[in-house]
Amino acid sequence: MARLHVARYLLGSAFTGLWRNRTMTGGAIVTTAIMLITLAGFLAINDTLNQMVTALGRKSNLIAYVRDEARPTQVTAIIDDLRTRPGVGEVQFVSKEDALAIFESRFVDQRDILDVLQSNPLPASVELRLNNPAVVPELAQELQAMTAVFDDVVVPLDVVEEVIGISNLARVAGSVIIIALTGVTLFVIVNTIRIAVFARRQEIEIMKLVGATDWFVRGPFVAEGAIIGGIGAGIAAIALVVLYAQAAPVVTRIVSFLPVSTDTDFVRNLAVFTLLVGLIVGSLGSYFSVRRYLSV
Amino acid sequence: MIVLEDVHKVYPNGTQALNGVSLEIPERDFAFLVGPSGAGKTTIIRLINRDETVTTGSVFVEATDVTRLRRRDVPSLRRRVGVIYQDYKLLPSLTVRQNVEFVLKATNEFDHLSDGLVEETLATVGLTRRTNHYPHQLSGGEQQRTAIARALVRRCPILVADEPTGNLDQESGWETIQLLVQLNARGTTVVIATHNRTLVDTMRRRVIEIERGRVVRDEPEGGYYG
Repeated sequence: MARLHVARYLLGSAFTGLWRNRTMTGGAIVTTAIMLITLAGFLAINDTLNQMVTALGRKSNLIAYVRDEARPTQVTAIIDDLRTRPGVGEVQFVSKEDALAIFESRFVDQRDILDVLQSNPLPASVELRLNNPAVVPELAQELQAMTAVFDDVVVPLDVVEEVIGISNLARVAGSVIIIALTGVTLFVIVNTIRIAVFARRQEIEIMKLVGATDWFVRGPFVAEGAIIGGIGAGIAAIALVVLYAQAAPVVTRIVSFLPVSTDTDFVRNLAVFTLLVGLIVGSLGSYFSVRRYLSV
Repeated sequence: MIVLEDVHKVYPNGTQALNGVSLEIPERDFAFLVGPSGAGKTTIIRLINRDETVTTGSVFVEATDVTRLRRRDVPSLRRRVGVIYQDYKLLPSLTVRQNVEFVLKATNEFDHLSDGLVEETLATVGLTRRTNHYPHQLSGGEQQRTAIARALVRRCPILVADEPTGNLDQESGWETIQLLVQLNARGTTVVIATHNRTLVDTMRRRVIEIERGRVVRDEPEGGYYG
């Protein structure tokens, strides 16, 4: 019963405060919504870039040529070990005979060359298909060091480095933008609550002087911040779902190679994340706004 | 019971407000704190409510060492000490009744909002007919009585008043003091810091005179000037 009273009091005070300060409240909600839509937009772009990076990574191969004198058991052990490594997708052993067969099928009109040689000059190889291009340089170095087993390691380094570069850039830029936008949202909410706190400083002073606890004084303001953040985030989430549903198929149609997520799970998670960010930023912002007025 | 032991208070700007004050106000006592402006009366009131902290010395309120109180325990002290101010400290946007209810909400005593305590308290201070008026619609005396009701509704065993009649005409001031005397008769400890010479001389109650931060006189039944 007491808790119900407290909850009613907190929400009642919060809504009264928000209504009293409605112009500022409206402004804060709209700003929060715009910031969160932008934030979610960047997250979606970031996701697309990440998927692109992963897709490119899947195409990157690493080929290690096996010395003729290498022991088959040794090669098998290395292959088994490679299969357990993170970032490594497929590992395939191509024997000398397989290599010859491939050569013959690809260069039908040059079989004469092999006839002249009378023996199979093609080395066996281990071919790796990688899920994460970031592991390529380290793996290549490791294989190159096994000089007793591998003759040469071929790495499509240019592509790998480019892919890693894009991936890192996307991650850094995304993080910077996300931090900056969260900061701006926090700033707007903190200032709105600060004005509300300033307008009610007399009320706060009296509350403290009659023995209200810090939490009791702070509660309505934290609720106000959470409401601003929540409503702003709610608007952003709805806008996001609607906009994404409209935009994703169009983008996919125009730029077909872009792996834009069109599944509802992604959008739903993004909307939930936006809501959480709004609520957390709103509540935390208010919590810190009231702090300096509590030392009565 | 309120006890001050060798209390010194120096404000950050260097002003020495109290310079070794020791005094004891037993339960159910009624005492006036008198002295010129800047003598340290308000500082004593603020120390009792932990609105200020001592520089050195100790302040005890009902066996609680106020000087060693942790921040989170301050609300519990303030719920036991009702403070009445010269400027009333009422919320202008709330009616008389809402101002009184406000402290019950602030101290998490929601159950008393509907058990008749507020009506009873307003009747005690003679404001039954003014419950729906806003502070600006009240006389100074009525505003001060609202402030007293606010302290009374919390059933504080101690009431400290800082110049409660300072903004009131003589008649309203007298009514306010009469109300405090009644509360004292019911068992509340009352401490009043005042400049009102007539009042102190008429009442002939305990008088503690403060001058330049020291207790210079403490008489059980004194006048303003001894």
